[in-house]
Amino acid sequence: METLLQQIINGLSLGSVYALIAVGYSLVYSILLFSNFAHGGFLVIGGYVCYFFLGGYFLSNFFEGGVGTNIWVAAAAALVGAGLSAVIVEKLAYKPIRERTPVTLYMLIASMGMNIVIENIFVVTIGGRYRALPSVIPMKPVSVLGVATTSQFDLLALATAVVFLVGLQIFLSRTKWGLAIRAASYNLRTAGLMGVNVNRLISLVFFVAGMLAAIGGIFLSARYTLYPQLGAITTKAFVAAVIGGLGSLPGAVAGSLILGLAEMLATGFVSSQFRDLIVFVLLIVTLIVRPAGLFGKSVGEKV
Amino acid sequence: MQNAASAGAEAPILSVRNLSVNYGAIRALKGASLDVYRGEIVAVIGANGAGKSTMMNAIMGDIARAGGEILLGGAPLPARSYQVVGAGVSLAPEGRRVFAPLTVRENLEIGAFPLSDRSEIEEQMQRVFNLFPRLEERRSQYAGTLSGGEQQMLAIGRALMAKPKVLLLDEPSLGLAPIIISEIFKELALINRTLGMTILIVEQNARKALLLSNRAYVLQTGNITMEGASGDLLNNPEIEEAYLGGRKK
Ligand SMILES: Nc1ncnc2c1ncn2[C@@H]1O[C@H](COP(=O)(O)OP(=O)(O)O)[C@@H](O)[C@H]1O
Ligand SMILES: [Mg+2]
Repeated sequence: METLLQQIINGLSLGSVYALIAVGYSLVYSILLFSNFAHGGFLVIGGYVCYFFLGGYFLSNFFEGGVGTNIWVAAAAALVGAGLSAVIVEKLAYKPIRERTPVTLYMLIASMGMNIVIENIFVVTIGGRYRALPSVIPMKPVSVLGVATTSQFDLLALATAVVFLVGLQIFLSRTKWGLAIRAASYNLRTAGLMGVNVNRLISLVFFVAGMLAAIGGIFLSARYTLYPQLGAITTKAFVAAVIGGLGSLPGAVAGSLILGLAEMLATGFVSSQFRDLIVFVLLIVTLIVRPAGLFGKSVGEKV
Repeated sequence: MQNAASAGAEAPILSVRNLSVNYGAIRALKGASLDVYRGEIVAVIGANGAGKSTMMNAIMGDIARAGGEILLGGAPLPARSYQVVGAGVSLAPEGRRVFAPLTVRENLEIGAFPLSDRSEIEEQMQRVFNLFPRLEERRSQYAGTLSGGEQQMLAIGRALMAKPKVLLLDEPSLGLAPIIISEIFKELALINRTLGMTILIVEQNARKALLLSNRAYVLQTGNITMEGASGDLLNNPEIEEAYLGGRKK
């Protein structure tokens, strides 16, 4: 019973971090109809910007303490940095393609290339070694109702994800640009005919996706350490987005929570070696039983 | 120095000059020209594949032009869709293309994207609701659940939301029952009369379009082949034969 409750809390916490990342995949997919595999790169950029601002680089390379900003400034910088990087990647790599051809497969391939480029920029400039984020996120254990224990870290991750996902929902449902994004996710060209500057809209979507990835990047690098290939973790968030139905934001959140819970329950009741197995079992079962995903609309070719 | 009013003959509000558009090797428009004057309803009739939608989409900046120019109020119309709408030209596209997962109200709101004054948007929405009371009844309903006729009304209302100087309509009769078509064309006449809205309509349904409009052009495989007062074209035997289902020998 205690294990169950504890693993549920851990699962929700893990799932909520996946959700931040999965929503970015789905948001971009809903507008441009391709899976942006450079998304993991945005996450890594967020992690490194945060690390730099916290003074981690200087601490480990030059000084002993006394440099770096607090976590709020560092996190804000990471969000803006990753958001802007996402916008730049779109302008450099995807815009030239989408202006020439309606075939979205080329953007998918370009995104894989951009992911490698981003990874290697970090490998070449600051090196591939694992780096620990200065301990700015509290990790103390917390007792839940006296029956289970979790950590401050897990609760903080869950709360942060909820704040940002609710914020995103409010932005999409209450603002003019949010409405434009919803319209564009149904039909981008028709949204253009309504007077929406579609290039600006696409930049906005990438900025938001990059920001959300950066939050994931901060929490994941605090949990596991930071290295250029950390973005590979987004594979699981991508799977979550597919299970929920690519292009659907509620689907991305639901898929992420299911995945997080499944991983943690498998860890708690079977063995942690089953963690990754269960992810792909869920993916395969979804693709067989309901190829469009839980909230997916149509079964087109999804790349 | 003279302005348009003192110049005698008024300049057209929308002028399409030698417009050509290619899809790869296909030349869909081969230098088509037409003028629309303030307050007029102008129709472009033509068979399926004549290039009517191509002309509309090229005016809207939704597809690239290969040549020619488009003037709005004497000034070149910008090339990008959002700038065209901002400049005062809105389109109710072929096939309606309403945003199915958005409500009727949200569809109208997105139509008003270039406007920023909240009260101006509400005012315009009320105007659209007065024209199409059915839309007001269904304002919280998803657009995807509307009937074809209601969706067409929504597409027209949505285009009106941006307060255009010229309203473009691409085959508003497409796929609708005759009684619904009559209702919509009656409404278009009213929009022209009461709002003073200038309308450029392209239609395969030549009879309806000629009855509605003041002047008309005939578009044939990318070329304008005939033009004149709509009443004259209605009585033209050639037109009757080709477009009005005149008796074949
Ligand atoms: N996206 C496209 N790609 C290639 N050819 C097209 C495309 N759209 C239209 N065409 C061709 O251009 C011509 C004009 O089409 P269109 O403007 O849609 O005609 P209309 O609206 O008068 O029926 C047709 O021959 C059509 O096949
Ligand atoms: Mg057409």
